[in-house]
Order: sequence, then C-alpha cells, then structure tokens
Amino acid sequence: MNDRRLGVYICYCGGNISDYVDCEQVREAVAGEPNVEVAKTTMFACSDATQQEIIDDIQGLDLDGIVVASCSPTLHLMTFRGVAERAGLNPYQYVQVNLREQCSWAHTDLPALASEKAVAMVRAGIAKARYTEPLQKTRIETVPRVLVVGAGITGLRAALALSDLGISVYVAEQQERAGGWVGGFGSMYPHDGQGRELIGSLLTEIERRDNITIYTSAELVEKSGNVGDFSTTLEVSGERITLNVGAIIVATGFDVYQPEAGEYGHGSADVITLPEFKQLVDEGEGPLEYRGKPVRSVAYVYCVGARCQSNGNGYCSRYCCNAAMHAALVAGRRSPGLVQYHLYRDIRTYGKFEKLFEQARREGSVFIKFTEQDPPRVERYNGGNRVTVKDVLTENRELELDTDLVVLITAMEPRINPTLSEVLKIPVGLDGFFKEIHPKLRPVETVIDGVFIAGAAQAPRNSAESAASALSAAAKSAALLKRGFVELEPLIATVDPDVCTWCDDCSTACPYEAIERTPYGDREVAIISEAVCKGCGACAPVCRVGAIDLRGSTDRQIKAMIDAMEVVHV
Amino acid sequence: MASKVDLEFAREVATSEEFNAWACMNCGVCTAVCPLGIALMPRKLFRHTVLGLKDEVLEQRDAIFQCLLCRLCQENCTADVHIAENVRFLRSYIDREVFGLDADPAERKDQYALAHR
Repeated sequence: MNDRRLGVYICYCGGNISDYVDCEQVREAVAGEPNVEVAKTTMFACSDATQQEIIDDIQGLDLDGIVVASCSPTLHLMTFRGVAERAGLNPYQYVQVNLREQCSWAHTDLPALASEKAVAMVRAGIAKARYTEPLQKTRIETVPRVLVVGAGITGLRAALALSDLGISVYVAEQQERAGGWVGGFGSMYPHDGQGRELIGSLLTEIERRDNITIYTSAELVEKSGNVGDFSTTLEVSGERITLNVGAIIVATGFDVYQPEAGEYGHGSADVITLPEFKQLVDEGEGPLEYRGKPVRSVAYVYCVGARCQSNGNGYCSRYCCNAAMHAALVAGRRSPGLVQYHLYRDIRTYGKFEKLFEQARREGSVFIKFTEQDPPRVERYNGGNRVTVKDVLTENRELELDTDLVVLITAMEPRINPTLSEVLKIPVGLDGFFKEIHPKLRPVETVIDGVFIAGAAQAPRNSAESAASALSAAAKSAALLKRGFVELEPLIATVDPDVCTWCDDCSTACPYEAIERTPYGDREVAIISEAVCKGCGACAPVCRVGAIDLRGSTDRQIKAMIDAMEVVHV
Repeated sequence: MASKVDLEFAREVATSEEFNAWACMNCGVCTAVCPLGIALMPRKLFRHTVLGLKDEVLEQRDAIFQCLLCRLCQENCTADVHIAENVRFLRSYIDREVFGLDADPAERKDQYALAHR
C-alpha cells in the first residue's frame, strides 16, 4: 500500500441504489480499508450539498483521491471531475464506481448478493484510486483555415459558410472546373431552378471573398499532423502545394451507376441513362429529339443499380425517383403528347416531392409496377427497342412497349477514390460511402478528429440535403477552430521506450494510425501521437513485452482492482 | 401472351382533358358497388385504357355500353376519378373508331354540361 488519502462516497440515488443494495453495510465494509480517510453515504451524491461536502472533505482532510459509487460515468463523470477540480484536486484523481447500472438495477431480485457485489465493486474502485496519477489535458493551438475537398454544390456552400465566419478556406477540385454535377444541370426539382445558375451564383460570391481560394485539377496527396493543425499537400496540375489547415471537409460527391452491357439493353441505340436523359431535356428547345429523330414515347426503368437484394447496391438512391419524375415533367412540356411509361418497383417521392409524382400522373405519365424477381426486358426489335414488362397492377399482364427511347434511372454510387481514403484514413462503410461517427448525433464527424464529411460522398442525397450537410460540416469545423485551441484527453496509451523492441504489432492493432516508429538511442521504438491516440486500448494487450500502458487504466490499476474484488463475503 | 400497347391510343388518353383515370389507385371499390356487376367495370377497363391496350378496350365495347352511368362508382371513388365522364370518353372513342360516327366534340361537351346543370 502507499500513503494515499482517499475519500469514498456511496450514493443512495434516492432509492435507485439503496432499495436493493444496503449502502450502510457497504460503507461499513470499506470504511476500514487502508488509505480510506473518510467513507460516507449520501442520498444524492450529485446534489449541490453533497458536492460541497466532498469539496470540504478534500480540503479539510487533505485528500488526494476520491471515489464516488453512484451511477454510470456517462451521466456524472464530468460532474465529479468538476468537484475535484473545484477543490484543487487533479480531476483524474477521481474514480467513479457504477453501482446503479451495474449492480442495483441489474440485481433487483437478489438484494443480499447485490450488497456483496457492491462491496467488491467499491473495493475495486478504491484499489484503482490508490494508483491514479494527476494528468493534464494536452492543449493544441488551432489554425483558422479549412481545406474543402471537392468543389461541387456541397464544397462550395461549405466554403462560403466558413468564409462568413471569418475562416479562410482552400477548395481542392479534381476536375478542371468547379461546379460538380449541379454545375452541369439545367432545371432541377423541386423549383425548376437552373443548376448552372445555382453554381454560378455561388462562384460569383466566392470571387468576392478574399479568404477563399479554389484550386482546380487538384488532388489531395498527403496529410500529416493532427486535429487543429494539419499539414496537407495538394498536387495541382503536377505541382505540389503545401497547405496548413485546422480542419478538412470531404465533399467529393458521387458517381452514377454504370449499367453493364446488355443490362436493360444498355449499350443498344436509344437506351440511355438518367444523366444522359437529363442532358437531353436540359439542352435545346422545342420537341425532344434524340440522334436526329423525334422522341414521341419514353419508357423509364427505375431502380437500375439500386435496391438489389443479392449483389449490387442494397440501398435506395433517394434522389432518382424525384429526378426522373421532374425530368419527365420537363420532357412532357417540351414535347406535348409525349407518351411516358414509368416502370418502377416502388415510388419514393418522399416528403414535399410527392407533388412531383401527382403532377406527373396528372400530366399523362403511366406507372407500371414490376418486381425485382421479374424485371422488364429490353430487346432490339424492328429497328428499335421493345420493352417487355409484367404489370403487377394489371394481374401480372405482360405488356410490350415499343418506345422511341428507353431511359435507365441509374443509382448514385460512392465515388471510389483510393488515394483520398488512403491519405485521410477515414472509414468507408460497407456501401462504399464515407462513414460518420453517429448518423443522428454526430452526422458529419468521422473517427479522425478534424476531418468532416458532407454531401453525397457520405450517402445518397439530393442537392438540398447536400447543402444542408455542408452547412453542418462548416459549423462543426468552425466550432472547432474558432476557440483557438483544442484540449485533448490525457487518457491515452504510453510507450516505455526502454522496454519497447519495435515489433510493429501495436501499430497494426491501432485503428487510428496513432503509432509510428522513432529512433531511440541506437534502436527504434514505438511512439504514440498524443493528438491522434483515442485511448481505445487496442495496442496495450498485443504488446509482447508489456511496454504499453493506458493512462487511467494502467496494468497496475487493473491488477489491483482484480485483487480487491477477490475479497470475502460481507 | 403479351399485349402490345398502342402508343397513339395511349397518347390520346394521356392528352385528353376528359379522361382522368390517372388518379386511380386500383382499390376496386368501383367494381364492388357496380349494380350491374360488370366485372370489368371500371377498374380494369380504365387500367387497360391508360396503359394504351387499345384492342382490349375495343373488345369490351358491350360492357362499355352496358354501363348505366348511374355514377354509384363515382360517388364512392376514393380518388375522385370522374368515372362516368371516362366512360363517355370511351363511348365516343368507340363511336368514332369502330362505328365511324364522328361526334362533334363541342356537342359532347354540351351534353356534359347539361348533365351537370
């Protein structure tokens, strides 16, 4: 044992704990433990009065560690770290024992044994507290600049939002011109606004800003550093440029599913994809023509490359029903009397876009439902194409449509960019899109601190949804950088260089690329980046020589906790 | 046996201001309430019409002319399809296409107005 002076507080949680655990019995069992200067029970440890009492004890009894046995640390870890801090004690000298979720609530049917378990848990907490160390958060100054990768509607909108907040922005665009998909579109749903004009207005505004720089024909090839202070290298038309930024927003957008040759007649004359059809209706005026011939009838085949049960993309591409419906309306206006058959599996004109569906039907579009098991066939026939489809709504009657044009409503696909994924180390989901930490609560953050994702690089999205996520990523980047510094948790892994033999096992186990090798005397050893390590602990158990320890959960602490739990019945 | 759609017929239906079966959601209430129990009427018939299955529509001309235009189906339609007017549209189409009676569309409109006075 050592000469630590600990305070132990056992909370009733207003009955949540004390109804099943005899808190007084627990207190008596641990009060005589070595190092325990004071052991108390309390109705609510989190109440202002008890917090003040703990502060008074720390100061009056000169305590150098406290244990609160109450609820989950998720709820009150920060509360009691704050108590320690206010009493002048390092907050990492505080240990929480989760008596409520892990004992009283779990064993409502066995109160006697629950009390026994509670004693063991509190003893383990005390054992852990004996070996706590004062730790300091690492403070990193942040650079008030952001790199946005991709100059589509998402990237440009994010850049403007950041500029509004006084943050300088570099935009890297792989293509020769900024604008992305939307920059090439004419009329778009739901308001018939021109895509080209939307992008034009963003670019005009960007030109007025002196804190936004757009690099075209540019690719991100290197990234080093950490949250708040990255060094990134762009290759711009063969030339390398190094940019120092505090955060990175990935807005690399999407690709369109390319049907295989023969898939729904793809490759045959007069069989085109949605982007090709969109271009056809966007360009020129008057009745539609394709390859010099008037288009008087169209068959659309929906869900091409999406919602596949077996192989292929399992997801719904989300934008295509609306985009197809809107293109059909524009086409119908250009070619009065255009006969339009929509061969669909399910129509998903969600939310306000339902009006597009209604309008398309009202303006003469006919909808034919097919099943994935029995898809339409598109075959060459009589110099044109014949579409054969079984209409579920008409007793599975097989229909033959000899339309002038067949349009495959193709899905959105993740843009495969191995260099970017490799450079940024951000995870890609099973569907191939970049993955956020939490879809609801942290929708634009990735596991790499300071790297954000937005737009259709993350999931199938329409341009409005992409712009919304762009603003979200801009807000999160600004929230990070506006403060001027970031504080990093000290509960991370450490390497003892005198023990380490550099076998590479730890760096392979690390999911965050936080471990690198560094010279140490005449040897090489592992070094852990404090800013990149998340303290997950994956490296510690794989170390062959026991050189790695996790601050806050050291081997010594864990062993002491196990030993303490072995104790005897109450 | 596959049925070939007639694109011209489909075009005439799609551009017609009188025929509005686009809203039909195939619920079948109309068929259930038909006092004549004409199985085809009007749900399947209208589906055939919007699809452009001209031959099959023409084959059903007896059923189309049997209809009493009682509008029981129309009153009960959940999608506000103007069923009786749609039947009139088909009758005049058959008059023209099969019997060669070129009814004056203006006159048809008058009858429609009269019926709704």
